[in-house]
Formats: sequence, C-alpha cells, structure tokens
Amino acid sequence: MTAIAAERYTGASIKRSEDPRILTGRGRYVDDIKLPGMLHAAFVRSPLAHARVLSVDASAARALPGVVAVLTGADLDAMTDPALDPLLAMFGGAGPMPEFTLLATDKVRLVGDPVAIVVAESRYLAEDGCELVEVEYEDLPPVMSAAFALDPSSPPLFANLGDNIARPRSRNEFGDVAGTFARADRVMDFHIDVHRHQNVPMEGRACIASYDADLGLMTVYAATQSVHLTRNGVSTRLGMDPDKVRVLAGDIGGSFGLKIGASREEQAVAAASRHVGRPVKWVEDRGENLTVSGQAREESFDIRAAISNDGDLLGLDVQMVIDTGAYPGMGTMVPSIVEGMLPGPYKLAALGFESTAAITNKATYVAYRGPWASETFIRERILDLIAKDLGLDPVEIRLRNVAPRTDPPALMITGRPLVGVTTKESLDRVTELVDYPAFRRRQAQAREQGRYLGIGVATFIEAAPGPRQGPDAGLGMEAMRLRLEEDGIVALFTGQMPHGQSHQTTLAQIAADEFGVPFEQVRVVVGDSAVVPFGLTGGSRSATMTGGVALHGARQLKAKVLDFAAHLMEASAQDLLITDGNVWVRGDPASAIAVTEIAARAASGEFGADVDAELEVQATYDGGEGGWSGGTHCAIVEVDVETGLVKVERYVAAEDCGALINPAVVEGQIRGGIAQGIGAVLLERSAYAEDGNFQSATFMDYLMPTTCDVPRIEIEHLETVPLDADVNFRGVGEGGMIVAPPTIVNAIEDALSPFGVRIYEQHLPPARILELIAAAGE
Amino acid sequence: MKLPLFDYEAPETVSETVELLAEYGDEASVLAGGQSLIPLLALRLARPAVLIDINGVAELSGVSATDGWTAIGAVTREYMAEESERVADAVPLLAAALPLIGHEAIRSRGTIGGSLAHADPAAELPAVARALDAAFVVRGPSGERVIPAAEWFEGYLTTSRRPDELLVEVRFPAAGRGTGVSFQEVARRHGDFAIVGLAASLTLSDGAISDARLALAGVAEVPVRAGAAEELLVGERPSAELFDEAARRATEDVDPPDDLHGSSDYRKKVAAAIVRRGLREAADHARERQ
Amino acid sequence: MVDITLRVNGATRTASPEVRKTLADFLRDDLNLTGTHVGCEHGVCGACTVIVDGRAVRSCLMLAIQAAGRDVTTIEGLAPDGGMGPLQQAMWDSHSFQCGFCTPGFVMQATAFLADHPDAGEQQIREALSGNICRCTGYQSIVDGVLLAAERDRER
Repeated sequence: MTAIAAERYTGASIKRSEDPRILTGRGRYVDDIKLPGMLHAAFVRSPLAHARVLSVDASAARALPGVVAVLTGADLDAMTDPALDPLLAMFGGAGPMPEFTLLATDKVRLVGDPVAIVVAESRYLAEDGCELVEVEYEDLPPVMSAAFALDPSSPPLFANLGDNIARPRSRNEFGDVAGTFARADRVMDFHIDVHRHQNVPMEGRACIASYDADLGLMTVYAATQSVHLTRNGVSTRLGMDPDKVRVLAGDIGGSFGLKIGASREEQAVAAASRHVGRPVKWVEDRGENLTVSGQAREESFDIRAAISNDGDLLGLDVQMVIDTGAYPGMGTMVPSIVEGMLPGPYKLAALGFESTAAITNKATYVAYRGPWASETFIRERILDLIAKDLGLDPVEIRLRNVAPRTDPPALMITGRPLVGVTTKESLDRVTELVDYPAFRRRQAQAREQGRYLGIGVATFIEAAPGPRQGPDAGLGMEAMRLRLEEDGIVALFTGQMPHGQSHQTTLAQIAADEFGVPFEQVRVVVGDSAVVPFGLTGGSRSATMTGGVALHGARQLKAKVLDFAAHLMEASAQDLLITDGNVWVRGDPASAIAVTEIAARAASGEFGADVDAELEVQATYDGGEGGWSGGTHCAIVEVDVETGLVKVERYVAAEDCGALINPAVVEGQIRGGIAQGIGAVLLERSAYAEDGNFQSATFMDYLMPTTCDVPRIEIEHLETVPLDADVNFRGVGEGGMIVAPPTIVNAIEDALSPFGVRIYEQHLPPARILELIAAAGE
Repeated sequence: MKLPLFDYEAPETVSETVELLAEYGDEASVLAGGQSLIPLLALRLARPAVLIDINGVAELSGVSATDGWTAIGAVTREYMAEESERVADAVPLLAAALPLIGHEAIRSRGTIGGSLAHADPAAELPAVARALDAAFVVRGPSGERVIPAAEWFEGYLTTSRRPDELLVEVRFPAAGRGTGVSFQEVARRHGDFAIVGLAASLTLSDGAISDARLALAGVAEVPVRAGAAEELLVGERPSAELFDEAARRATEDVDPPDDLHGSSDYRKKVAAAIVRRGLREAADHARERQ
Repeated sequence: MVDITLRVNGATRTASPEVRKTLADFLRDDLNLTGTHVGCEHGVCGACTVIVDGRAVRSCLMLAIQAAGRDVTTIEGLAPDGGMGPLQQAMWDSHSFQCGFCTPGFVMQATAFLADHPDAGEQQIREALSGNICRCTGYQSIVDGVLLAAERDRER
C-alpha cells in the first residue's frame, strides 16, 4: 500500500494563475470592455484654482455632431441625491462636512475641478465637445498652503464652513507628558515637512456605467478596491436601491488606495448613463489622474522630543497639520492613525499629539499606500537627528529604544500591544547583512577621495492587521463563501478585489492545501457585487483576514464534503481524507473517489432531504490573534555633491510578515513599495504654483522611478513569532512604502554629514541637495 | 488626451512638400518622427490646421559624406544615425549624444531633422549642432539656402526656418585626427532631457588646444556657445586649473531658467561642473585620436 | 479618413481610421487588440509599446495612418493561439508582474531588445527598459524575467 502524498502549496512561490492572461495581453481592464451602443465621456474642467462659476453655456457643444449630451453641474444636481464619500460614510468623518455639488455649480475649488460632463460617440469627440463649452469664471484668491488656509483671512472654499478647517485642532495626551518633559535631560525641537505626492497607478480611474431603463438596473464596470463600496457610492448618489446597482470588476491596473468608492466623476458617469439610456465609458487620462484624482502625504510636523543624555527617547509632543486639499475626504482621518502609530516599536513613555486639517485649492488628499506613513518618517528621522546630536550611532540609538519583547507584551503608550514584534532581530540582522562596520571603513576611504557614501536605517511596524486589543476585541470580520462546484472546482467567493496582490493565486494555495485538491482545482471568484460578500482590498489585511477565512472556510467545506462523502462511501466521516483531489478511506488507497465525482453526485439531485448535498459554506473570520508586520530597512547611497544626484547603491530589508503564503508575491509587494519610497524622496512631487496652477500634470514633470533608479533589493525574511495555531500570515502591502523614505533620507544625511547637513524634509531632488550643502556651509 | 482635428497631407517629394508649406504657411506643422509633435497635439498645445507628414519623402533619408562634411537627411531616424559607422567615424560628438536621446523606442521614430527643427534648448542634438557649427539646408519656394547653426536657433522652440521652408538636410563637419569629444548630461533619470548638458569638442596639436568648441544645453532659450571659455582654451595646454577657469567663464554670464527640475542657480553650478568633466573627457579622447 | 492596409500580427488588415487617431487607439478600438495599453498618451510610460518593422515604437506617438504598409506586432501576436513565447514563459516563472497594466509594453520592448542584444547583461537590460514605467514591482522581477529568457535562449 502506498500513501497518497498531500501537496504543500502554502509557503511556495507558486506561479500565478493570473499570468497566462496578463502576459499575453488577454487581461480585461475597464477600457478593454466594449458594450453595444456605448458612448464616451470627458469632463470640462476648471483652468482656475479658485473661482466662482458665473455661467455655463453648453449650446455649442451640444450642437457638435457626435455629441449626445452635455450635463452641467446644475443638470446633475437636479437628477441626483447628495452623497458622502463612501470611506467617510463607513468610518465617520472627523470634522464638519463641507457642502458641495456633484460637479461644480457655483464654485470651482481646484485646477481641473469638473464643471460639466460631455458624452459623445468617441473620446476624441467628447474632448472636442468639452472645448466648446463656455464657462465664465470670476477668479478668487487661491488658498495654496495649509498655513494660509488656517489663517482666518483666507477666503473660505466652502460657504457652509466659513473657514478652511476640515478638522478643528484637537489634542490628546498619553502618559505623563508634562512630567516626562520636565524630568528630561534635554528637549529638542524639530520641524519636519513631508511633501505632496501621489499614487499614480499605471491605469487611472475608469468605469463604464450602463443603465437598463426597462429593468431599472445599473451595471457598473469599475476599477476599484471594493465593488460594494463603489456600489454604495453610485446607488446613494443616484438615489437607487443598492440591490439595483451591480458592480463588476475584472483586471485592475493598480490603485494603491486611489480607487475606493466612486469618485465624483464616476458618479456623474452613472447619472449620465441613466440620463441618455446608453452605456457611458469614462477612462481618466494621465493629465486628469495627476491633476485631480487625488494626492497625499502633504503634512507638516512640529516635534518636541524629551531625551535622556544617553539617548532614550522618553516623550514626544507633536503638532501636525495636514493639507487635505479641496473636497476633504479621508485625509481628515489620517492624523488619528498617525497619532496611534507614532510610538512604533519603541519604549516611548509619553505622547502629546495635536492636529488640524486644512482645506486648500489642491487635489483631495486620498489614501496612498500607508496613509499614516509620516509617523514612521518623522520618528525615524528624529532618531537619527538625536543620535547625531548625542554622538550616537543610528543603529545603537534604535537598539536602545526598542521595546523588548515581553510576555505579556509591552503596550504602546497609545494602547496597542507590541505582541510578537521582532524589531530587535531585524535591526541585528540588517546590520549583519550589510556588514555595517565594513561599510563605515569604506565610507571613510571614499571621503578621502572626495566621494560621499552614506548608510541609513529605519525600522517600522505595520498593523497588518494589527494585534487583537484584548480577549474580546476582534479585528473586524471577513466573510467568504466556499462551494464545491458541480464540476469539482473548489470556488472561493471573496469580497477582496485584487489589483496586483495576486489573490487569485495566494488564496487558492491556502484553500488547495486545506481542502486537499491540486492548486488548479481551486478558483477564486472576485469582482461582482451581486455574487461576492462585502470586502475591500486595502489596509494590508487580506493576508490575515482573507487568508484566515480561506483556511478555516476550506476546512469547514471539507468537513461538509466528507459528511456527504461518508454516505457515498459507507464510511465514517472521521475515517475519510482528501488529498490530491481524491477522497479516500484512511489506510485504504484503493477506496479513492475523485472529488469531481463526489461533486457531480452531490449535484445530481439523487439524494433526499436527509442528506445535505449542498456543498457550500459561508465562513467568517475575525482575524484570530492578528499581529504586526515590520522590520528594518537599510540603504547605501552615493551622493554626487557637484550635481546633487543620488544613486541608491544597495538596499537591504529584514522583514517579518509572519508566515509567507507565496514568497515571490510577498517580495514583489515589498519591492514595489520601496520603489515608491525611492520615488517619493528623489523624484516625485505634486507641485502647485502660488497662483494655484498645477505644475506636475504630465510624466515629464511628475517623475516616476525607473529601472535605473531602483536597485536590486535584498530581502531577508525573519523567523516570526507565531501567535495563532493556524493563521500567521500577515500583511505586507504597505510596509515598503512606509519605511523606505526615512531609510533613504537617513542615508543621504549620513552621506552629507561631513558638510554638517541636517534634513527636515522628505523630497530631495538634486537642486535641493546642493542647497542643503550650501546652507550648511554658512 | 486625444488629438484635435487637423487636415492631413502626405507628400512624396520635397517639391510637393514645399508647395504645401507655401500654401499653408504657419497653419501647417511638419510631422517627421512625431516624438515631440504628437505629445503636443495630444495635450492640445499645438493646433495646426494641417499636418504635413514627410515620412514618405524618401529623398530626405540617408547619411552621406561630401567634402569633409557628413550630410544627414532630415528624416533620418535617430537609431539609424546611431548605427551608422560613417557618423561614428566622422562625427563622434553626434555619436556620443545620440544614445542619450530618450529611449530606444523614441529613437526608432525620432529624426535628426525633427529634433533640430523642434529646437528644444534642453535637447541633445541642438547643442551638438551648435558646438560643431552644423549647416542647416532648407528648401523653400525660391530655392535652397544654407543656414549656419549660429543663425538657426532663434529662441525657445523657434528656428529661423520660414514657414514656407522645409529643413531637408543637416551637415556636420567631420572631426579630424586629434579631435576628442565629450557629451555630458545631467538629467533627473536615464533618458530624460538634460537639466544641463554640454557638447564639447577639443582638438590637440602638439599637446596644445588648437580648437575648442563648447555648447551648453538647458541654460537659455537656445543652445549657447561658450565663446569666452573657448577663447581662453585655444593655445593652452590642458590642465585642471585651465579647465576650472574655462568652466567659470562658460557659466558666469548665463542666466538659466528656473523650473521644477532645477533653479537657475542650480543649473549654473552644475553647468560649471559638467564643463570641467567634459573638457577632461574630451582632452583624454583627443589624445587617443592623435 | 485615409484608407490603409497594413499587416498586424501576421494578418493583412484594411481600415479607414480617422486621420488623428493614434496607432494605439486604432489597435485597441478598431482592431479589438486591447492587449496594447494606454498609460500616458504622451510617450513617456511605454505601456503602448508595439513592434513596427522590427523596431519597438510607442504606438501613442504614431498616427494609425502612418502604419500603412508596415508590419506591426502586438503582444497578442507574440505566440500562436494565446500561448506564451519563451520570454513570456520566463517572466511567468520569474513572477515578473503584479497588476499587469505595464506588462504588454515591457514584453514588447524586451522582445525587440533581446532580438538585437541576446547577450545583454543586467545593466544593459535596465537601461533598455528604463523608458517603461511599472508602479507595482520595483522592476527586479521584470529584469530577472528578461535575464532568464536570455539565459535559456543561450542554452538552446
């Protein structure tokens, strides 16, 4: 007798099931979809940052052959309901709600603000039509900085608010702030700015809305991180029952937080489709994507640090101002997350945190991969600055301040338990991998030759999904429907909406292992709001939440299938196994029946009510013990002090993201995030002129990192502390982007330390590097 | 970002083209490689009534040599010039600059004439043409005329080509023995336009500089010959001090633009750095070619 | 409108595209070859890269009518019947891509490059692909896919 071996997919870099279509041009992105009678939309957009709209004359546009409809802000207002941004609706906004119409009616509030939608036979004609819409504006003074926005003299963008404050100043204290500062050996002050930059997925926002007047049904083909949130956004705006709106999503060309809910443009497209009674497609072009889709990270911090002479970071008192742009959205929630995460994996004993959010004539602040990332940036930046001031090594100061791993775990002063955090291990490992002492020797030699090399480290933790707060506190609830289909396929219906995360592969790996079928016999079904449970791909939660529900759900489905198979095989369910796609009686391989046959029998209808042949389960998972992801990154850079150009020579990451489902997928996520971090520091900036004009509206001005800007990135996976019997997968989606910017900036400052340079900002293009060197010399 | 409406003509000969240009004048844009023009059309920044596509004018393509000059047809693709042995031998400065133009896919379509007629002061070829005193051959209704590089570049994206004239050929003088070249470029990323660039050519004779040509890209609305630096260099023997002084002279009077990629001050500083680097490299190259 | 005849993926096609239509839009809309993607429409991102007469070009920077008489290959035409050629296979094995939007441009650019430079090393490959933007991967997995394809080709 030979035992039938089970295959182990989890933990292996299984080739992606997405790739055969992706690599051959057979992916289906929104713009690839054509519907009969489909029209195309383009938007008339404001050339001014802040202006009253005096009149909109669409008559010439409507008369253009090929233009089917032009709907102004007023037209759309009359045919839609007011609606909140879906993320705000879900989590609750933190501040007064500004009142504004779907498209601009009385006012425009940023360059590119949509004023009307033109629907035509082709996008070419729609753009021609846009040029014929005449809009009269009365220019208003633009509010182009948070500082001015907070000044009561700045002209309010929203009449109902009366000022430009999206979130009034509020302060929280954790621990004994006053006492900690009073007792500290020294107090240091810093002001640090993070610049505006943005998601820039390679596919912009896009949707097709198709209204069937006969059935009263709206179908939306969307590029989205959640079909249900898009459905909610469209149905609310259109005053439709959500059950009458179906959102379908196929392949999505990246998002990084941008494509959540339904944007104003997408809502307008849906309204337009209902109005004209034909499908309407809108595909944002790169100019639109850069100018209006959303931007992020523009935050400034006044930081006071209480320090001991030996380098203990005892307390922080921080004031944060976030520039949420016009039409404030989730940006108002970011300060709370920054506050909660700021202590990081360190022993910080006291934190005072004050924040306010300003409204300006810029693109809306949207979620961008690790929206709270500035907390890691400022913390890791000031650790280096403090280290320099005290003559300590940057690694040394971190080791000194890291909270030791204890049982019960230490609590962050803001409340979260630092359970299973391997920060110290990651610091040790990274310095080993780069041979830190050897680098310092090489650096010294290079300086003698007039070459400036630098090394930087930064450490982080990411709530992916984060620890359980207490025995009764869950991490949310993830649902999944699992079904053994008639043809023997194990189908997983999930609300996850992958846009690069490879869920169709990773979730299948887990389910295949747990259920006992080959990888090819599992199908992950996504992207249909009528068919999948509620879900959102975001927040680096899917590895735990969805991986967990796939694992437990597959077990539950297997139990159900075995109960059914027991009838067929006249055996007890406890004696049955499923391996390699076959059900068999333990110890009797000859008894094996293919899962496909079991499935066919269940679907045959031959069984009565006493046999449960409905081979489907609705599983839920609350995240189990959850846990942190985190690690330490290290970069070696060379700065050309004549040109200011920076080369990242080497980049090493020591990471702990729990158990890996698919190492290649994990590493791809990490490297992609790091590339965005390198881009943020060296290349990317969403720049506005003082008059409100947007200056980075093409890829010639918004510079993306290329193959020559991102080095090979070495990744070492640390042995994790398992917290759960089964589910120790943790998320990794955002970490790279969170920790790479301080890693790079720390390295640049280290390279320039012979000049006495100190860096209090994140964007360091060549000209700025030369300015910093010159300023330090004065 | 869809292109606006325009009429389209696809002449097959130079005379046909000239006739069309005479008819439409500045209502027409000439389409060669399209790598500069089509983005402008897509952004709707260019609004010609007529596009005259000269890609079908076969006589405008090719590299030939005449009397110590290398003549390149205006519609010669950049990649063909890059692969041309004749160009590599006779015009090493052009050969050095070509691989820095954008990326391979751009050079598959972009043309020598197109880039020079577009006249972006931050582009590579205008600096090369200016450094070498290239000759621009245009043909109009009244015949052909030859415009020296010093007179070709008039302003930002503006040349002295009249609206009814077609650039048919650009002629580059052949580099002799003892002439070394260097093309330096400081760009934000590989393949980008220069923030500042330098096209340099030095000829050494008995160890002394007998000819010096320096043209800067990105420091003004046109490529700029660093005449004062060139004067200093001629007759002298290469040295670090000489090159430092040349760099100072080359940049002291320039007033470069400010933009997102660099302040005026930054461009000036970096221009000086690349003059030093470029002169060193050109001198080394000149010694190899003795 | 101008009548044109051209070869696309080995088949002769005739059409009458609008004069201002780009080759990228023509391929996608008129010929239903949606594998070629549009990422910027101003020639920087490379997602629209196709091969024309053996050279990689940005199809957003060509008018459709300029392709008259030319031989165009898109990603759909690299391997018969939607299968995968050796480069695509190597990229599959290397986990080269994530969201896939930049993929066709990279595959076509790398195909053209490897045809002319079969022995290219990593630095050369990176320079050759520096005009294609990917937002997801950080490029290492893409470069590894190209290196693997080149290595396997040498072994054949």
